[in-house]
Amino acid sequence: MIDCLSSIPLQASFALHSRVLDQAGLLFRLAFSNERQYRTMPTHGIGKYKHLLPKEAPKKKKERQQMKQIKTATDAEYGTLNVKVSGYDMILVEHYSQYIHNLCNRLGVKVAESYALPTKSTEVMVMPEQGTKMYVDAILKTHERIVQLSQLNATLCPTFMEVLLKNQPEGIQLSVKLHTEADYQARFKARPELEGLMAQMT
Amino acid sequence: MAAPCSRMANRPLWQFITNVRRTGLKHTGVRQISLSSACRAATQTRSKTEGVASPWKLYGAVCLQRLPVISQERNPIEDQFAELMHQMELERSLLSDHEQRLLEDSERMTRKQADNYDSDEEEADYGGQETITAQDQEDSWEQKLKHFQPALRDRDVGGTPLGSVERCLGDSLVLLVQQTVGKETIWLLPQAQWEAGETLRQTAERGLNSLPEADFKATFLGNTPCGVYRYKFPKEVQTECCVGAKVFFFKAFLSAGSASQKEPFLWVKKTELQGYLKPPYLEKVDRFILNL
Repeated sequence: MIDCLSSIPLQASFALHSRVLDQAGLLFRLAFSNERQYRTMPTHGIGKYKHLLPKEAPKKKKERQQMKQIKTATDAEYGTLNVKVSGYDMILVEHYSQYIHNLCNRLGVKVAESYALPTKSTEVMVMPEQGTKMYVDAILKTHERIVQLSQLNATLCPTFMEVLLKNQPEGIQLSVKLHTEADYQARFKARPELEGLMAQMT
Repeated sequence: MAAPCSRMANRPLWQFITNVRRTGLKHTGVRQISLSSACRAATQTRSKTEGVASPWKLYGAVCLQRLPVISQERNPIEDQFAELMHQMELERSLLSDHEQRLLEDSERMTRKQADNYDSDEEEADYGGQETITAQDQEDSWEQKLKHFQPALRDRDVGGTPLGSVERCLGDSLVLLVQQTVGKETIWLLPQAQWEAGETLRQTAERGLNSLPEADFKATFLGNTPCGVYRYKFPKEVQTECCVGAKVFFFKAFLSAGSASQKEPFLWVKKTELQGYLKPPYLEKVDRFILNL
């Protein structure tokens, strides 16, 4: 008695379960194949959402890095300037370059780029008084950071430079130069095979 | 007022390269600044504008500053905070290469002294021992440190005279000279009268160069003046064509100074300016001297 009573809801549930499974199976099949539901079916177009999203431009392949235009100086503004911060202590160098960047943001000077040049290692060799062989005493690493400014106002320039100079930490060298194409090209690594092939061609 | 300012706006900018080094306490006590003008556009000389000369006499003055050579002393609070941060960073930091080498060497030593030391195995692993261990290096560095004598931070112990450039190494100092203006001799920033045919910046440079017994190499940072001070002459001196004078100030930094410490010069901090300059003059000058 109890068995058949319990078996009925089981069967009903089984039947219901199977119908749900069927529909699930139908949708599953449709999702993975190219069958479309018939247009008169009330569920036609269920699950379509692409038409609701905003149109996005077709994805372009990433173009090769081009150099940004180097601006020339006009009467009231300087062109592209490179402020180079270099020193042995990386913490001070980084903090100072960050300070310069933040100062420019605050003063309204546009910062075109802010990048780091590769670290240069210098070996300090010491020669003892007796003997001729030199041995390595220490390795000093020179770190360099560059902040590129694009439109520095001529009236703002003296004040800006003064603030920079007065806040310069010890052991840090500051240098302000015009940005040239040679500077830009110096950032890239040399490709010996390519150069060899080009030499062969010409 | 119209003549010099608009002329300055017309002159094309000089593109410049500055290279500033701050490496250590040099003998001159002055930061080296080198400046080279990469390209000088042709200076256009405008034809004289006619007519009515303005009733104001024009002067160009230079505010020559010596930048601080060493960093300033820290407050007690700053000191405490710096120590705290240092401690925190030390506790959070990882071991560096050198420290790892030290640990490895000490472990190797303990293994060597153990009874079941197998030297062949060790050699195979490490490929021959190095002659200098990290501990030896540390010891030699400590020895060198003992020999190193840092220079005194403050050479002011004896009380250097006010005219010396190496006065307060932690602050920036301004140059003051004593000049006769009208009938009185007062302290002011070095100035010279503007002559026709030159920019105000050249006037300021001339004022600096014409100081007697002085040999200051200054670097001007730009063509724009940083401040202006105008005053009227007292009634008896006023004539039709000169009612008063206007002084335009330019900022410059000392790149290589001479050590002449004659009386006419004073190098003062911003806080000490009050004792030397007249109040209305001081008011205008105060505005553009930064106290960083």
